[in-house]
Amino acid sequence: MSRFALPSGHNVARPRLSYLASPMQGTVIAAALGAAIALPFFVGEFWVHVANEILILGLFAMSFNLIYGYMGQISFGHAAFFGVGAYTTAIIIRAPLAETGQIGWGIFLAAILAAPIVSALVAAIVGWFCVRLTGIYFAILTLSFGELLYYIVFQWYSFTGGDDGIQGLRPPAVLMATEGYYYFSLILVAVAAMVVWTITRSPFGYVLRAMRDNQRRAAFLGINVRVHQWANFVIAGAFAGFAGALWGPFGRSVAPGLLGWQKSGEAVFAALIGGANYLLGPMLGAGVFTFLHAFVTKYTEYWPLTIGVVILLLVLFLPGGILSLVPKAWWTRRGASADVPERTKEPVPKS
Amino acid sequence: MTENILTVRGLDKRFGGIHVTQAIDFDLRKGEQSAIIGPNGAGKSTFFNLLTGYHRPDRGKILFDGVDITSWPPHRIVKAGISRAFQVSNIFGRMTVHENVRAAVHAHAGVTFRLFAPAARFGGDEVAEALDRCGLAGQADTVAGDLSQGDKKKLELAIALAGRPRLLFLDEPTAGMSIQETEDTMQLVDRLNRELEISVLFTEHDMGVVFNHAQRISLLHRGSFLVAGTPDEIRQNELVKRVYLGEGI
Repeated sequence: MSRFALPSGHNVARPRLSYLASPMQGTVIAAALGAAIALPFFVGEFWVHVANEILILGLFAMSFNLIYGYMGQISFGHAAFFGVGAYTTAIIIRAPLAETGQIGWGIFLAAILAAPIVSALVAAIVGWFCVRLTGIYFAILTLSFGELLYYIVFQWYSFTGGDDGIQGLRPPAVLMATEGYYYFSLILVAVAAMVVWTITRSPFGYVLRAMRDNQRRAAFLGINVRVHQWANFVIAGAFAGFAGALWGPFGRSVAPGLLGWQKSGEAVFAALIGGANYLLGPMLGAGVFTFLHAFVTKYTEYWPLTIGVVILLLVLFLPGGILSLVPKAWWTRRGASADVPERTKEPVPKS
Repeated sequence: MTENILTVRGLDKRFGGIHVTQAIDFDLRKGEQSAIIGPNGAGKSTFFNLLTGYHRPDRGKILFDGVDITSWPPHRIVKAGISRAFQVSNIFGRMTVHENVRAAVHAHAGVTFRLFAPAARFGGDEVAEALDRCGLAGQADTVAGDLSQGDKKKLELAIALAGRPRLLFLDEPTAGMSIQETEDTMQLVDRLNRELEISVLFTEHDMGVVFNHAQRISLLHRGSFLVAGTPDEIRQNELVKRVYLGEGI
């Protein structure tokens, strides 16, 4: 108790152990990881392929959610960084593949790691402009830059293959098998997700939330709002690029559509479906989205109609996403929350 | 002569055709606790907005402890040692009380670019101290948006204190508080001023608060200061009575 203080019902500040995830969160994450590892033993190749897609889209959506759920700005051009990452890896491995039809592990891993760096550089340029704006203006500017990059890739035949894209992106032999690539993706996505988690509970992560809740007030704490937003934009771009790097060799090809607004929309959908207020909400949303897509397109061609109805119902009846169905007390039954920081029901972060 | 912590000269601001701040001169001495009074629309909040960088003045100079901070952005002014609590509580509604104050402590400590270390590792003691001081220790884990109006104002103060300011601006610090809370809060402000030697400038509509807790009072009216003096001088001043206090005080 300090020497002077206002009277208070309680006189001792309860120490918070927020650096420990609650046992509940740990259990859920361990169970999900266990299920992911065991999956190929229980389902056929098709669904392993779908699960692999979920992992990559999920990481992409998580990177988007650094901007949306944590920083409170919505980007409609985030796929540009996903696509730039995918093309970076594709262009690096294209030459050796054309020569020998094979790719060595060294150059393959280097190509994967180069993607987030190139995406971060592009995001640094795009973000430098975008963080000067907020709300709808931020959204429109990200959309414009996304479409700009899309058209560059679309038109630059000599370098990107234009609208043909780049084909024949074969990963090293072990990863040619569906299961092989799946486990490769699982490891890299799990590591990346852990890094994202670490960032979201760091001082920087809480600055993001502060800027989301009240940008003006954040500045009056002595926080340089633009610089922090810019840094986050670059970080989010890097993770999107990393996800993109995994995409090309997974589907054996890249195409300009990876940078387009529809791909950006998938990240928005995933975050909305799973819950933008939760670290793994976008991953769950990506799961639902991709599973639905795989399932519905088996029976009908009306996929856009289906996902449209799903989103409509969600926004109307479950604006916090699927994870908002879980009572908050359940997550934090013991200890304080670490990666489930938001506890109100506002559907869309305010800027 | 005592040194000034804040010196304002010829500060001027127009919004369109409205001349809200008219060539203001103002001095605040180091260690002083001073109040600005004035009717609604006199320009009190605008004055604070100019001093803290939220608005840029059209003309004039602001010196903080001898350093020219005119037209600095807010985050730089705060880093220099000025904190501000807002009239309408202006907090981070979806974060807990603890997290609100901790973000301020982190900003002050310059650790906001620590990406890979848990936030809880930094500033726990400072947060606990600020919460303790402002009577919010028992509410540390409450989501700030769920606090009562009075508690939100206390949180305002805790956030402002977390920046370890040398100069504190309080825009109606007790608005929305009960009589008891008001008294407690103003006694806290007095102690911050006396014991931590924080210079304080506050606005307030409650004249009881103003006359009991300000060493010096300035009357702002239509964008310029009409009178300044000790509480006794202000109480006796005919112009103040006419413009603001009315008869019978």
